[in-house]
Formats: sequence, C-alpha cells, structure tokens
Amino acid sequence: MRYEIRVDGQMSDTLTAAFPELDCFVATRQTVLYGDVTDEAHLYGLLARFLSLGLHVVEMRQLPQ
Amino acid sequence: MGPTSHSGEGGRTDPTVGALTPTGDPVLAARFSVPVVPQTFVHRPRLAERLDAGVQGPLTMVAGPAGAGKTLLVADWVTTGGLPGPAAWLTVEPEDSGPGVFWTYVLQAFRHHGIALPDHVGSPARPGRVDHSLLTRLAAWLDGREVPVILVLDDFDGASGSAEVADELQFVLRHAGDGLRLVIVCRAEPLLPLHRYRAAGELVDIRSADLAFRSEETADLADRHGLPLSAEVARVLTERMGGWAAGLRLCALAAERADDPEGFLKDFEAGQSTLADFLLAEVLRAHPPETQDLLLRTSIVEETHPDLANALTGRNDAEPILAELQRANAFVEPIGHSWYRLHPLFAEILRAHLRVRHPGLEPELHRTAAKWLSGAGLLSEALPHAADAGDWDLAAAEFIDDLAIGRMLTGLDAERLDGLFAPMTPEASGPATDLVRAARELTRHDVDRGVAYLRDAEEKLPDDPREAAAAQLSCAVLRVLAARVAGSADMAETAAETAAEAARALPADRLEQRPELTVLMLTDLGSAQLWAGRFDAARATLSAAVQAAEGPSTAFPRHEALSRLALIDYVRGWPGHAESHARAAISEAEHSGLPASVRTGVAQLVLAAVAIDRNDLVAARDHLDQGAASSAASRDPIVAVELALLRSRMQLAKGDPQGALQYLDAISQKPLASAAPSPWVNDRIAMARAAVRLAEDDPQSAVKVFEDEPPHTPEGLVAEARAHLADGAGEQALGILDELSDDPGRGPAVAAWALLARAQAVDALGDTAAAESLVLRALTVSRPHQLRRPFLEAGAWLGRLLSRRPALAQGHDWLVAAPEGRSLAPRTSQGSVLPSPEPLSERERDVLERVALLMSTEEIAADLHLSANTVKTHLKSIYRKLAVSRRGEAARRARELGLL
Repeated sequence: MRYEIRVDGQMSDTLTAAFPELDCFVATRQTVLYGDVTDEAHLYGLLARFLSLGLHVVEMRQLPQ
Repeated sequence: MGPTSHSGEGGRTDPTVGALTPTGDPVLAARFSVPVVPQTFVHRPRLAERLDAGVQGPLTMVAGPAGAGKTLLVADWVTTGGLPGPAAWLTVEPEDSGPGVFWTYVLQAFRHHGIALPDHVGSPARPGRVDHSLLTRLAAWLDGREVPVILVLDDFDGASGSAEVADELQFVLRHAGDGLRLVIVCRAEPLLPLHRYRAAGELVDIRSADLAFRSEETADLADRHGLPLSAEVARVLTERMGGWAAGLRLCALAAERADDPEGFLKDFEAGQSTLADFLLAEVLRAHPPETQDLLLRTSIVEETHPDLANALTGRNDAEPILAELQRANAFVEPIGHSWYRLHPLFAEILRAHLRVRHPGLEPELHRTAAKWLSGAGLLSEALPHAADAGDWDLAAAEFIDDLAIGRMLTGLDAERLDGLFAPMTPEASGPATDLVRAARELTRHDVDRGVAYLRDAEEKLPDDPREAAAAQLSCAVLRVLAARVAGSADMAETAAETAAEAARALPADRLEQRPELTVLMLTDLGSAQLWAGRFDAARATLSAAVQAAEGPSTAFPRHEALSRLALIDYVRGWPGHAESHARAAISEAEHSGLPASVRTGVAQLVLAAVAIDRNDLVAARDHLDQGAASSAASRDPIVAVELALLRSRMQLAKGDPQGALQYLDAISQKPLASAAPSPWVNDRIAMARAAVRLAEDDPQSAVKVFEDEPPHTPEGLVAEARAHLADGAGEQALGILDELSDDPGRGPAVAAWALLARAQAVDALGDTAAAESLVLRALTVSRPHQLRRPFLEAGAWLGRLLSRRPALAQGHDWLVAAPEGRSLAPRTSQGSVLPSPEPLSERERDVLERVALLMSTEEIAADLHLSANTVKTHLKSIYRKLAVSRRGEAARRARELGLL
C-alpha cells in the first residue's frame, strides 16, 4: 500500500528524520510525506508517531499502485 | 458542588511526601501520584464544571492531542477537592495493555490513594486475561460503597490497543452501580462503547475544541508568566496557535527571554514550520548549551534523576539545571523523590533532535542509563534500556544477577520480560544470555532446545556452585523445570541439590525478595517426584512450596502445588484431604484472577474423581468440564491422562463400557510427552482397562490386562485381585491381597476396595462370618467420605450378602441415599437391600428413650427399677438391631427410623 500523508506546517529536517521510511517534500504551509506502508499496524503506528510529535495530520490517502 | 469549590489553590498533593509502592520504586510510585500543577497553570472553571458534571455519571472522557493540557486540567481538578468521593490516579503505560497488569495497577492505585480494598477481591497473578470472578468481586464491592470512587486513567492510550482491557473496564463500570466514576484521559478515543453512554446521557466528553484556550485564558496564562497582554494581542496569539496549550506555553517561555515580550508575542510567526518543533527550537536556543545538552541526552529516559542525568551528560551539573528548568516551568515536572519527568511531547521532539545532532549516540546513552538504573536497583526500568542499546549480554547479566529469572516463568511480568528478550541477537553469548534463552524455550515447552541452552550455560559457569551463585541458582532452577517436563525425578533431585548449594552462597534477603524462585523450583521438583511415584517425597516438597509467601509472583506455583497435593491425597486414598487441598488450590486461583484456561485443571479433576467415587455424577461432570477447560490438558501428561481416565470412569458409571474404552484407546494412541514412564499412572490406566473388561463381563481379559502390565501400587494390586476374583480364582486373589503391605499412608478409599475384595474372596470360599466382618469394616471406613463407588462396583455377591444380613448395612443409609437417588447394588432384583430393622422390645424402647435424653446407665437403671447390668444387656441388643456401636449413634439412628 502506498500512502500520502499531509501534515500542517513545514516539518524541519529533524522531524522528517523521525519518519525514515517515508519520502517527503514541502508544499505551501504543508509537508507531504509519502511511501510504502506495510500494513494496518504500520499505518496506525505512523499516526501515533505524528500524534506524539505534536504534528497535525490534515489529509491521508492511499495512492494508486 | 460547583465551580467555586475549585477556585482555591490549597489541597495540592506534594509528591515529595507521596508514599512509595511496596517495592519502594519511586518511578513506579510516580504513576500513582497526581501530577503537580505548575504555578503558571491557568485554572479554567468552565472545564472544571464539565468534570464536576461528568463524575455525577459513570464516564467522563478528556480527549485531545499531545500538549492540549488534558493531564494538568484533571490533576488540578482532582487536587482542588470537592469531589463526590475519593479519587485514585493511574498513569497508564503501554506495557499495561495486558489485562492482568492493568488491573493490578488499578487495584494498587486504589490502595495508594487510601481506598481500602477488602482482601477477598484478590489480585491478578498473570499479565494476560483476568478471571471475571475477580472483576465481579471488584464491581460488587464498588457497588456496595456509600460514596463512589473516582478513577482517573491518565494516558489511557497505553492500554487503548487492548480490546480486552476495554471490555473488562466496561464490565466493571456496568456492574459497579453508582460506586465507580471513571475519568479517561486520552489522545485517541478508547474502545469503550462511547455511543451507548452518550445516547444514555451518561458520558461527558471534553474534546480538543473544549480544551483549546480562549483569548482571555491566553491572557491569563501570559500574565502568570509575567507578561501582561492586551486583549488584541491575546486574541491574535490564540488564533494563531489554535488555542493549543503547549504552543502557548512554549510561546510564553520564549517571550520571557525576549527583549520586548509583548512585541515578540504580537509579531510571533512560526512561519510555515510545524509549531511544536519550531517553538521548542526557539525555547531551547534561549537556554545555555549545557542545559540543551542535558535535555537532549535525558530525552531517552521517561523519568530522570540528577545522578542519572549526570551519568548521561558526563558532567555533574544536573541538579541545578533540573531545578532551574522546573522553576522556569519549562519541560520538566518533579514527580517526587528527586525524580523528574519530561513533558512527553517535548521528549519525543527532543529525541528526534538527538538522533540528528548526535547520530549513533543513542545506543550509548541507553547503555549508560541501563547501568545506572540497574545500579540503583531499578531492574525493571534498566532492562528496556539495555535492550534498546542492543547490549543483550548486559541485559541478561543484570537480569540473572538480580535473581529475576523466575519472573520470566510466572507472575505479572512474564510476558513483558519474554517480549523484551525476544529480539535478542545470536552474537550475545554469555552464560546469562544462554540462561535467558533456555527459560524462553522452556516456557514454550521446548525441552530439547531449552536443555541445549542450559548445557551451553553450564559449560561457561564455574564448576563450584558457590561461584557465580545467582547464575548457578538460575541454571539449577531451570534444570529442575526441564527435568519435570522430561519426567525424571532423579535429574530434578540432583538439580535441586545444586540449587540449594548455590542458594546457600547467596545472602538470605536476596532470596526472600524472590520468593517465586524457591516455590517454582519446589513445585517442579515435587511434580517430578509425583510423576515418578515418590509420593512421600513429593508431598513433603509440595507442602514446602505451599508455605511460600503469597503474592502475584507465587500464586500460580502455589496453585499448582496445592493441586498436586490434592492429587497425591486422592491417589493414596484420602478423599477428604484431597478435597480440601483441591478447594484451596481453586481458591488460590480465584483470588489471583487466574482464568480457567491457565489453571492446572488438576484440582477440578480431583474433585471430579472424588465425586465419581461418591456416585455424584452430576457434580463430577461439572468438575470434569472445568478441568478440561485448562490449557494444561494438552501438554501436562498428568492432566491429559487423568482427564481421559475420569471420562472413561464416567461412561462406565453410566453403564457404557464401549464409550469408556474409547477414551482409554485415545490415551494409548497419543504417547505421553514425558520421556520416562510413570509407574502409578500406568497402573491407573491398567485399572481403568480392567474395570471396562469387568463391566463387559469379561474377567479373563481383565486378568490379561494385569498380566501385560503388572501393577506396582496397592490400588493396582487390589484391582488385579478383583479381576482374579471375577475370574473365579479366589486363592490367587487372596495371595495378592496378602502381599499388600500395611502402609499407614494408604487411606480409606484404597482400604475400602481392598476390604471388599478380601470379603468377596472369603465369601466365595464360604467363610460368611469373615466376609460380613470385612464388609462391615469397609462400610465403616467408607462412611465418613460417603464412598459409594466400591460398593456399587463390588458385584452381585455383595447384594446377596447384604440381603442375607440386612443388619450389616444398618446405620449406613448414606449408601442408598445417593445424590442421584440411585439405590445400592442395582444388579440385585430383591428390592431394597436395607430392609427395616428388627423390631425393638418394649423394654428396649424404654431404654432407648432414656438414652436419647442423655441419661447415664445408672440413671436409666434407677428410673426403670432395673439393675445396671440388665440395662447394659438391653443396650447391646439395641446396638445390634440398629447396627450401631455407640449411644449417640443409636439415638440418631432411632430418630431417623421414626422409633422415637
């Protein structure tokens, strides 16, 4: 499963380093992280990581293969 | 109760005087203490009112993202008083998702906050599922309270992944009536059926939008930081932060250090960065490099102590720095006993910074933390860091050195510790590492691999058991366990001797702190001895195990030892002792919330066996089903065999020999797990086979069973004698019975079978008087235990004998008053085998009436104008007719028969 996750604000390199399994680019007032998500457990783990770093997830969608 | 009750500042809990847990662990104690609210905290009456309203009903939920100010809101509300009852606080951690661990901490939180739980509620002894009986007792106790208990579960997300914890919480909440008010603080909604509570108007939820600061609250916060704000600046700032408490707090901290604080706040613009990270970087920058370094390095531990922080920084300035950070209300909060906790959100971000700024430093820091924590006696806290450092030899060495190996085998920590060592890499090769690997294999019942690791460990350990005593003791305890599974009492006894020698080289108080180590070893040793048929040794060993201190770590081995004591009693023919040991074993399990699946099942099987002997088949079926619910049924050979034997006995008692045989065939098709055979277990299987043959009226096959499998035990020999008797070989039977030794350890149940077999033999030889006297003795030994089975299965001769001499069965109406109303000797067609007694003469009746009035022989003689000797003669005649031997029995019997 490939996912794209949009986070409010521009994440610093330090913070994006906390998601080494995802690639990212910075858009206007948003950071877009994308990459392969192994399974549901990984997905929820990612969400928990965003939550614990005080990041605000504004959008999340599965990408077509 | 209104908001005014919360406006004061008094009544705060001072964590530095908070009680420690029974183990004296300050980090653990911190989980039960209400966090301290900083001076800068903004009291918000609108939210306190919502909480007040919430605890009028069963459930309140405070849900919001990290840094929304949830914990402090509830902490402030709890400490300012005015609650409808006492409050207990628990900060849930991820390892609490095991229900057993979760409920242990809940009960501990109650006690920590002075809410006296009655002992009968018990305490879980396993990390996994908790038996509902424990939760029922807890709920019933809560329901019976006059004032409710308020339970605050902070950081509930730690357990939110567990549907079981949620179900159980829901169960207790539903059944606690008005006795429990739950306040859940979480980031993500818990798995409770919130919609149902909401629909019933029983839920108050305070969510992100409610938690968000309003402009006037922002102004208040800034004011508390010494930064007066105009309404306009407060509004702009609130809007920009989305009312996010952590953001506002960081802003205020950053502004405090700015030249023009108001200007800073007014023009503050995080740009396009994410808020927390940006703000934290801002705030960090304002601190000296030493402080920044300390914060980064201590971010790897949940809680820190000045000495631990010094170890991590390699400096010795932690104490003033932590005090300054606390004074500035930045990042750290005191949790008592000189310990501090970093705000979890900031810690998380700091860890991200640490990884970027000092790549590769993290494992080193974890190793340092592990060493310091272990040195401070905080093994539970040290192990995860040793694991995070990937230093498995260190983790295992600390673990073994702490004599903690037993905790991996039993108790609340077992699963956590097993999981902790699961990622262990093959490079780790110290003896301690091998021991940990052996323990993990043995808990999975893989004896071969377990023993291989034990051998590796032994090669690395010194030959003298007194050197490296902790590792030697751990190794020996595991050896005993392996020997038990292999069914070798010799190996178990040898290993137990090594264990004792190693234990002598250790300080007594260290062993006392690890009661599970001794009780596990004794239970395993006793089980191996039992398997080998060394009943007296097994009984002594298991009795010693039962003497161990009660507690979660010893609950399971105690339960197992009691169950096996019950089995020994049963096999040796003592149904009364067996029953009381079995009941004690079950009560131990219930008290510890052990679900039926993890109990040994042996206690229930013993109760079933006793019930079958009493011909109470309804109770027997019930006990059998409960025994079969144990997961031990699939791997403990004793449970597996007994279960099949008892099912076979049940079928036989119901008159279905074919069904009985099927269960027995199933045993022989599935070879026992143990390497060494057990003589008495084989005897019991042979006895059951022979019983089926006898029921099928095929005594020759019954005799053949014992020819193939010569019995070793008294009960086996008796069964062999009965087979010969049925086959018409009375002399041979008597020969076997004569060989039975006069073992004082043999109880009434074995004696009853033996007496009846002998009676049958002499009856067949025509010695009726001797047969009658033997039957009478069999009746006498069986009566206190109501053992009906030996008489029911004795055969037709007994019915004939009793109908010839009905007085024999006088006083034994228990025999026919079977629980299911079955009458004795169903094979006889002569109606009741206990006909009405020989009628009493008028004089005898007069004497009996006075006996019932408790008159002495002399008094009766005087009253009836008879000589004392005449009265005695009448008494003897009464005794004979009523088939009793004492005055009290005579009176009771006469009343039962309606003679008085």
